[in-house]
Amino acid sequence: MKTKVKILFPFSLLIALVLVFPVLIMFFSSFQGTDGGIGISNYTEIFKNNYYRKAIMNSLYISLIAAVIGEILSILGAWAISRLSEKTQNTFLTLFNMAASFAGIPLAFSLIILFGNSGILKAIATASHLSFLGAFNVYSLPGLILAYTFFEVPLGIMFLFPPIKEINSDWKEASQVLGANNWFFLKKIIVPLILPNIIETFIILFANAMGTYETMYALTGNNVVSIPIVIGALTNGSLDANIPLACALSTIFAAIMMLLVALGNRLTRRSR
Amino acid sequence: MKKSSNFGAKLTISLISIMLLTPIVATLAYSLSTSWVKTILPTGLTFHWYVVLTSSPSFLPAVLRSFGVGVATVIVSMVIFLPVIFYINVYEPKLKAKMRFLTIIPFTIPGIVLVTGLVQLYANLPIPKIVVLILTLTAINLPSFYQSLNNVFMGRDFRAMFEQAQLLGESPVGAFMHVILPNIRSGVLVGMLLTFTGAFSEYVVTNIFLGGEFETLKIYMYRLMSVNGNAGSVLTIIYFGFLMIISFLLIKTVHGKKIDQRKE
Repeated sequence: MKTKVKILFPFSLLIALVLVFPVLIMFFSSFQGTDGGIGISNYTEIFKNNYYRKAIMNSLYISLIAAVIGEILSILGAWAISRLSEKTQNTFLTLFNMAASFAGIPLAFSLIILFGNSGILKAIATASHLSFLGAFNVYSLPGLILAYTFFEVPLGIMFLFPPIKEINSDWKEASQVLGANNWFFLKKIIVPLILPNIIETFIILFANAMGTYETMYALTGNNVVSIPIVIGALTNGSLDANIPLACALSTIFAAIMMLLVALGNRLTRRSR
Repeated sequence: MKKSSNFGAKLTISLISIMLLTPIVATLAYSLSTSWVKTILPTGLTFHWYVVLTSSPSFLPAVLRSFGVGVATVIVSMVIFLPVIFYINVYEPKLKAKMRFLTIIPFTIPGIVLVTGLVQLYANLPIPKIVVLILTLTAINLPSFYQSLNNVFMGRDFRAMFEQAQLLGESPVGAFMHVILPNIRSGVLVGMLLTFTGAFSEYVVTNIFLGGEFETLKIYMYRLMSVNGNAGSVLTIIYFGFLMIISFLLIKTVHGKKIDQRKE
């Protein structure tokens, strides 16, 4: 019993200090008004002010599209990897695991070098007079969605590969032995088996895009507003810093995510 | 039929890989160019920007700061999390279901959300911010550390090994170090590499919580983006090389583990 306390106490203390307490403080501070009073003024401000509403809408819009594209490509990618030899599978999975670490500033920077205003494609377009080559504006919503694809696809593959691999090896053989055709196999076996994973992965991709700050900040700065960008601007100690307002926005964010996870759990349980 | 669908699989994964690699190849070409403004190909090739970057007085300190943060985070993870993961897997598997909850925390409470609470809570407390940063990074990287070690305790009776070593006179810490650790080496190594990479690469919490005064590699990279694009592209390529080395080590470790298991 004593060793149990010795082992679990430092762990619980650390989780409390850097996760539980900050989240609780964030929640309580969100009810602290600019005049020092306590109330929901931060929340009414967020829902009345067009700037904050726009941030929430942008976040939802970018994340939804990035998650849909990411989901489709990662289903294809996970299926493709599951057909390769085991050694190649491990190599690809390790590399995709690392792709998450390349996200953020390095990713935004390399996209700016390729598509940016003084980037390579612009240089080639000017020299070759093929202006369509340099037409893509990377500092925009489509640019952000493109950038998000670079980490959403590897992340989706990491989550979808294990279930898809299982289906590939066992179920296909069994259903062929029993005389099922490919369409039957897809509709009656693959889809019901894998649907919970697809929903789960979609929620993770959506949540991951919603919380992305670094890539967006490096690519579009404060030009495109989103929940993370506004939180960053309100927290970073500049003149317009307003931490209680940032806490309110963070609380809204965490609430959306918890709702989504709860919804996902319900959906996946039902289809299981 | 199998052959044609394998071709499709190879084509699909090749196209995805090409898409993911194109910006990196472009950055590599850019980092080696003398100048590339209104031409189809760069006007010349040079290592000039590599020299400029590595001889800059900001470069080495930034790398060392990130390195220090990475090492400190790995040490705290090993001291605090490794015993917990061992204990839960071997003595209280019931708690494993609860630990799974931790793995979705980075998605529900990402760095940018957590940092508002950290600023509010610790900005005016007399605790060194760097300590809070290390502890936070340890918690943020817990999911990957946990997942690397979650499967290593299957297949062998670690409880008996641990208890027999203690009967033979080892202290609990000694038994863990001499009997358990050698048997979970590869999982521990993967966990350490992933945690190190996560902490080494962190930007959001470091930048906002410490106010940018502690210039790590990523913060330096962001500054270079606007100051000197060529040197910035070099740093991006060096960083990519670092990730490739880590990947190589991970692949070696995972593959080595597979061979070990086959021998038994």
